[in-house]
Amino acid sequence: MKNTGLNRSLLLLLLLFGLSSCGVSNVVIDGSFPTPNINKMPIAIAVYYDDALKDFAYLEYSETGQEEFNIESGKSHVQLFNVVLPAMFDRVVFVDSMEEVPTLGVDAVFAPAIEEFQLALPMKTKLDVFEVWIKYNMRLLTPTGDYIADWVLTSYGKTPTETFRSVEGAINDAAVVALRDLASSFALSFNQVPEVRDWLNNR
Amino acid sequence: MNLYSLSKTSAMRQLLLAALVLLVSCTSTTIDEFRQGETGISSTETVVILGRRQASDYETRAEFVSCVGERMGRGENALQIVPEQEFVDAMFPWFEPRTAPLRTRDLERLMAENVVAETMLDFGVRYIVWLDGFTERTDRSGSISCTIGPGGAGCFGFGSWEDDANFDARIWDIASMSSVGTISTDATGQSYLPALIIPIPLIARVEANACSRLADQLKNFVNGS
Repeated sequence: MKNTGLNRSLLLLLLLFGLSSCGVSNVVIDGSFPTPNINKMPIAIAVYYDDALKDFAYLEYSETGQEEFNIESGKSHVQLFNVVLPAMFDRVVFVDSMEEVPTLGVDAVFAPAIEEFQLALPMKTKLDVFEVWIKYNMRLLTPTGDYIADWVLTSYGKTPTETFRSVEGAINDAAVVALRDLASSFALSFNQVPEVRDWLNNR
Repeated sequence: MNLYSLSKTSAMRQLLLAALVLLVSCTSTTIDEFRQGETGISSTETVVILGRRQASDYETRAEFVSCVGERMGRGENALQIVPEQEFVDAMFPWFEPRTAPLRTRDLERLMAENVVAETMLDFGVRYIVWLDGFTERTDRSGSISCTIGPGGAGCFGFGSWEDDANFDARIWDIASMSSVGTISTDATGQSYLPALIIPIPLIARVEANACSRLADQLKNFVNGS
């Protein structure tokens, strides 16, 4: 009787384990980003996040073509820019649509976009690191919507494998490093983009 | 069971314990120090220990950096250590993997930024110690098989491996904007995993030994001894 009970418990445990390894794992990127320690530029900027950025999600497939990880990073991107941009510029106004901009009295509009997201997992690359690589299209527009500058920025983050950390946790950590890399790269290279530099000099 | 067999069992146990202790502590560590300038530190000055993370195929683990910092901050001639993450966050974005200074002349350029110089002053940093390295597992051998069934579970076999922890510490003096020395540590150790029903891990604490030896050497170096 006891043996039958034990066998049933073991079978149930095996069944639960099997079911838990099916289906896609959802990873919502979550991290904290420090305020950049930089001098502000005397510019007023409106910031527009389109839906593609706010709802950005990347789906990683396994080698057999099954959905493996769904990585949602839109919210963390918005959070990052909300911390970085007010530290870079004197005045920052966040808008929900481009129609709001002309009445705000700003110098320019910043509209970032994510072009590509790549994930490298140790089980596929045979390396001992989780890697995230993200490609952005940074756009600076006049208040009336004309282009001032349009440039590509890439960010990279990695984290080593650790014995007692979940794959989801490692992906999150690598993505947070990539986001910090974006913030540092963007904050320090903004006024070195040729079109931005020309625009700043001609204001 | 008579007295003779009891004492024999007790002696066997003690012998086994001694053998286990000997096996576990099988780690050898080598330290090399290269001094390029004079050092010394006052009670109001601090040291920040940072890990190098520029390489594509490895990065210096935050746990090792933290270990070295903790050890340098206690005991005789303890130093005031600024935690790595606190410093990097306060200095953001100047000490990220992409933007961190690689040479002392890069640090000079960085210190020309007033925000960086002010933050460095707020922390009272006198020395920056850059740790660079990793622990590698080599020479694996043996195998262990574990089974589980209605009658019970157990493991059988024997495994062993060697770990090699190789770290460099470069010390920068903020006052003179120069590199004042390099300390290298190389620790190797053999770990064993015999399994007779239950696996008995006998792990050589290679990285821990590297941390303690490196931290002690760094403490003496910074103090000028």
